[in-house]
Amino acid sequence: MTKEVRIKDIGKPSKQLIKLRLEDLMKLPPPYDKPGEEPEMTEPKEEWRERYITELDGYIAIDVPFEKPKTKEEEQRLIQRFLEGLKKLLDKENNWTFLQPLLLSLEFCAKCQTCNDACPIYLASGKKEIYRPTYRSEVLRRIWKRYLTPAGKVFGKFVSGDIELNWYTIARLAELAYRCTLCRRCTQVCPIGVDNGLIAHEIRKLFSQEMGVAPKALHELGTVQHLKVGSSTALTPEGFKDIIEFIEDDIKERTGKNIKIPVDEKGADILLIHNAGEYLSWPENPAAFAIIFEEAGISWTLSSELVGYDAVNYGVWYDDVQLARIAMKHVEVARKLDVNRIVVGECGHAHKALCVVADRVLADEYNIPRESCMPVLWDIVRKKKLNLDPEKNNFPVTLHDPCNMVRLMGVVEPQRKILREICPQFREMEPHGVYNYCCGGGSGFAIMTSMNFPEWRNKVATRMKFKQILNAFKDCIDPSIKKYVCAPCSNCKGAIRDMLDHYQATMKCGIYYGGLVELMVNAMVDIEEPFIEMF
Amino acid sequence: MLSPLQISSYLAFAIFVIVVLWKFVKYATMPIHLRWELYPVPHEPEHEHGGSFFEHQNIWQLERKHDKLNELKEMLEEMLFIKRMFQNKRDLWYVSWPFHAGVYLILIWLALLFIRAVLVVAGIQGLVPIADVLIKIAGAIGVIAATLGCLGLLIKRVGNWELREYSAGVEIFNLLFALAVLLTGLFAWIKFDPNFDIAKEYMLSLVTFGSKPMPSLPNPILIHLILLELLFIYIPFTKIAHYVGKYYTFHAVLWEDAINKPGSEVEKKVKRCLQFRTSWSAPHIAGRTWAEEAKNPKLDVIERWKP
Ligand code: SF4
Ligand code: SF4
Repeated sequence: MTKEVRIKDIGKPSKQLIKLRLEDLMKLPPPYDKPGEEPEMTEPKEEWRERYITELDGYIAIDVPFEKPKTKEEEQRLIQRFLEGLKKLLDKENNWTFLQPLLLSLEFCAKCQTCNDACPIYLASGKKEIYRPTYRSEVLRRIWKRYLTPAGKVFGKFVSGDIELNWYTIARLAELAYRCTLCRRCTQVCPIGVDNGLIAHEIRKLFSQEMGVAPKALHELGTVQHLKVGSSTALTPEGFKDIIEFIEDDIKERTGKNIKIPVDEKGADILLIHNAGEYLSWPENPAAFAIIFEEAGISWTLSSELVGYDAVNYGVWYDDVQLARIAMKHVEVARKLDVNRIVVGECGHAHKALCVVADRVLADEYNIPRESCMPVLWDIVRKKKLNLDPEKNNFPVTLHDPCNMVRLMGVVEPQRKILREICPQFREMEPHGVYNYCCGGGSGFAIMTSMNFPEWRNKVATRMKFKQILNAFKDCIDPSIKKYVCAPCSNCKGAIRDMLDHYQATMKCGIYYGGLVELMVNAMVDIEEPFIEMF
Repeated sequence: MLSPLQISSYLAFAIFVIVVLWKFVKYATMPIHLRWELYPVPHEPEHEHGGSFFEHQNIWQLERKHDKLNELKEMLEEMLFIKRMFQNKRDLWYVSWPFHAGVYLILIWLALLFIRAVLVVAGIQGLVPIADVLIKIAGAIGVIAATLGCLGLLIKRVGNWELREYSAGVEIFNLLFALAVLLTGLFAWIKFDPNFDIAKEYMLSLVTFGSKPMPSLPNPILIHLILLELLFIYIPFTKIAHYVGKYYTFHAVLWEDAINKPGSEVEKKVKRCLQFRTSWSAPHIAGRTWAEEAKNPKLDVIERWKP
């Protein structure tokens, strides 16, 4: 059998390597098993083709305009810059952060292809070759072998395999690094422990750290804006304080409770940091945290200092230098407030970035404990610090496991224990826990909304999660039964919101979504009106 | 007096050991990397559900417990049975596992030959018959399983599109090379040395540095031996030595979850790395040390991506 695309085709001069068609994608369960139930795929606009890289699959993740080389010299320059970047990825000083894992993954893949069927994107696409977890890894591996190892220089294709390094290869590889959510599900099944997600991550770093190229949502409007303005949402310290006032008023209105949200209170036990997207898109989430923490008598504060009110750290997806910078700011804020620990709110990648990955860029006075909000919340429920009535949550609920919090950090049970206590109709998705599927918004995809990228995300990246959600509710799929997907992560919520919208699943199936703390407040006996609104 | 063949045997073994050790050292001396573990981590007491110490509060005060036994179990299941492939790629496992298990048995066979020779030299004759039986079992099953597995791997590698497409010429060559060694071994065993007597004698001559005479070797055995020596020399330079990688991917990356507490070894290593100097060319990086880059961000961005 000959497949349509081969590895060496990455360098093939052609307008577009593959074209996705609806009929090739993974089938969805009812009611989406009939034609016409989901929107058609679209073609990229002609003007996009001129300005951006549509040569891969026609979708555009990197929304920085790309000037295609016009001469051989220009192409050579691009190739040289790429190879320089690759050398730096393999250099101790420039990439101590991931040198060992990267080299291991480049050197030891047995090409057994055990990992492929673990990948939600590969499966959802109908097994398109370029989305195979090993495809992009093998492209990078071949370039490395051919151009940077002695064996490759002497024996050429015999040891490296067939690959041509031209501008097509480089441009397509840059886009291809953004067709993987870094969920690392493939790594879990690899008998050698090779990490294709990591390789995608390192390719992103090569482009960002060497060429300054990354999706604007991650870099220019992400980490750069975060460090300059205070938040990747562009929320300023003043704006933040206004929102806090608004939330206090809102709590009063909805629950009758007079809550003064502590901001910049020195010496508290906990500095709670939320993804600032919550304040703008889901203010009920920080509101619920405030209600719960105040009711439970927790010593806590928020910060209004630059960066201190936005837990995100997009650096973890594409740039180690930016990762280190934001993590430093987070701990600096905590240090000034003299808190005992930082607790991260319902944001998966912020959990992983601050508690796990950036653990090793902090030292001396910059090193303070950083933890998840989940055990704090579970302790509150376990110790019965809130008066909760599960009957108030008597509707079907399922739980989405954010990869960053679960597979990549091991925070699995506290959130489930809470749901088992407070949601009588709680049911698991399959698979779940550390073997979950990504929401499709991972690694920045949830916030990358330029041009046609959301279409790719909704059609391919989130497809597996959508299937899981439909299956979890298959006994009650009728739209008249309101059901709730609990996603304790801002980015996952963003991806699920767009997914439900794209497939009109709220209307067709009665599926709603939200965080965990909202369910807790919804179950509180002394709050009369439902805190969760499903209409 | 040692023969050239004996000398080459010592040499092949020495090169194998030295290069493999060098590979271990290469990976062991790399700088500490950012934490990148993947759950379930088997030494975590909550490994059943893939949990970690992050499921608790005040993690710095927490007394960390490690379930070393479970880690060992997980390691052995993966090493001896290739569990992940068994669960996720059964068709390939049917040939890969016999091959790997066969190779393990052949290595055990070699070790037994060595032990037997030592027993003979030490005059512990009573144990020699036991060694003889074990040698026969390990050698026979080992060579048959490894040969069939290798043949199967080769057929899969060439016949299956996804395996062939992702292989470079060298990967096919590696299998052919291994198969050549195995087939000559199989032939030599069946035709000339069914009880491995020649093998035992040759090993005895090696262990005694030639004071016991080397047996006369029929040509097929000679060819097999030379090929085997070449394979020993070749392996550490290639991906066949992926056992080195497998050790580090699991122990140094996927299961490596040491916390960076103030004053800890981890912190000392991190501090050293933060003094490394960057030379990345993107406009937001200024060529300073990691510590300086992190503390004083430069935030220039590009407008267009130009060659
Ligand atoms: S990454 Fe692992 S599972 Fe995938 S082909 Fe390589 S060795 Fe096999
Ligand atoms: S990390 Fe996740 S999305 Fe990326 S290749 Fe692996 S399984 Fe697929």
